[in-house]
Amino acid sequence: MIEVSNLTKRYRDLTAVDDLSFTVGKGEVVGFLGPNGAGKSTTMRILTGFLPATSGTARVAGFDVFEAPLEVKRRVGYLPENPPVYVDLTVRSYLRFCAELKQLPARTVRSEVDRVAARTRVDEVMDRVIGNLSKGFRQRVGLAQALLGDPEVLVLDEPTVGLDPLQIREVRELIRSLAGKHTVILSTHILPEVAMTCEKVLVVNRGRLVDYDTLGGLIDKHLPGRKVTLDDIAFLEEIYGKLVNAGPAPRAAAQEAR
Amino acid sequence: MKGALAIARKELAVYFTTPVAWVTFMVVAFFAAQFFVGSLDAWRYLSLRAVETQDASVLERMNVTDMVVARVLGSTGVFILLAAPFLSMRLIAEEKRTRTFELLLTAPVRPFAIVLGKYLAALGVLTAALAIVAVFPGLLAVFARGSQGGSGIEWATVATGFLGLFLLGAMALALGLFVSSLTESVVVAALISLILLLALWVVTIFATGAEGPAKELTLALSASEHLTPFLQGRIELKDVVYYLSFVVLGLYLTDRAVEAQRWT
Repeated sequence: MIEVSNLTKRYRDLTAVDDLSFTVGKGEVVGFLGPNGAGKSTTMRILTGFLPATSGTARVAGFDVFEAPLEVKRRVGYLPENPPVYVDLTVRSYLRFCAELKQLPARTVRSEVDRVAARTRVDEVMDRVIGNLSKGFRQRVGLAQALLGDPEVLVLDEPTVGLDPLQIREVRELIRSLAGKHTVILSTHILPEVAMTCEKVLVVNRGRLVDYDTLGGLIDKHLPGRKVTLDDIAFLEEIYGKLVNAGPAPRAAAQEAR
Repeated sequence: MKGALAIARKELAVYFTTPVAWVTFMVVAFFAAQFFVGSLDAWRYLSLRAVETQDASVLERMNVTDMVVARVLGSTGVFILLAAPFLSMRLIAEEKRTRTFELLLTAPVRPFAIVLGKYLAALGVLTAALAIVAVFPGLLAVFARGSQGGSGIEWATVATGFLGLFLLGAMALALGLFVSSLTESVVVAALISLILLLALWVVTIFATGAEGPAKELTLALSASEHLTPFLQGRIELKDVVYYLSFVVLGLYLTDRAVEAQRWT
């Protein structure tokens, strides 16, 4: 679904992406992992047709991003690093604008907007101006925008930034539910995130591919003999979730404790 | 084209949810009203004097379209010129600053559709402002009577006047749109397009002392000189070409600038 070969991007004397090659199969969820400035965002921008590559090719859904950018853009939902929201519009008018921009059939715009709003849980703020929303809501509005039209490929640049732990969980569940039908490539520098959402991990550093394997493969390769389960990573979040979901502690109990 | 319309609709929504469009309307309406009252006063004074002196030749030549409407439209031109940079300033500069340009450029629309959509929205607001100004000739048509008893307004002249103002606005917005595509700063975009437009408006100052080709050139460059024939009821090809070439060049260069900034 995504084929990248020998992709290189130079900004004057800085090489952001250096001879990167990888393929992502249909329905896979791949985590793009690397420190800040590793070239994750640049690669994603090339994949979505926002930036041209210096050399090398990238194909998405069978179309070359440079030769047939419109065909690629039709099939890709993209959440950039900064959620691209208009602070003057309401969530509803913003999502409607994005749907029209993606040229969804006029009949389906309204139902599509409602569908993605429900999936990303922004339906409660539909008629509020985006400028007045918290970072978490803006991020989810950006995600909703990427899901419009149910694109085959989703490119999500740090989708959980700015969310609180519970919202992070919701978004991860959402991304996991996309697997199979959608090809998802998401970037992050948070390690547990990859473990909890992705089947395969693509590690880049300084623009170069360091490793590309399944999670299990990485553990076997780098921590031979170690038994790691997802629960090991997720326990803190679960505790947090329990605490928050239980609601505020009864005052009496808190005083007794003192 | 669908993409361009979607962008135009969004821009219009932003114009009317922020004060930009309303302030434009207010400024244009306020000053047009001032000029209207002033020109009417001048007209009244002149006609009283003509009656006093029994000068039939002056009275015969007095014409409410030329003496009131054309003056109002000519003065409104300045405010169209002043308002346009504020309509065009944020069109692309703000998209770049807030990183929403990434959304537009990764959507399945051509860069030109983005440019065109934004331009059409700004032009729509400007046209609405002109429609407000059209109230004044309308008022005159109700009250002014010609010497033969018909309406005192020559609608053909009024129409060419508005066509001229529309073309002036179209030119100003195309120039402003291009400037907006060159910077990330909304203020810089407004300032530079304002300076350029005012320079084009007052460039005739240099024509007063000049002679020969220099004079011809400054007159040919002037946005105000090219407006005059329209106000007198004439549509001349050279004037239409002057304004339209700014529009075409402005849109083309904006498209190029949008395309080019991905390559930096």
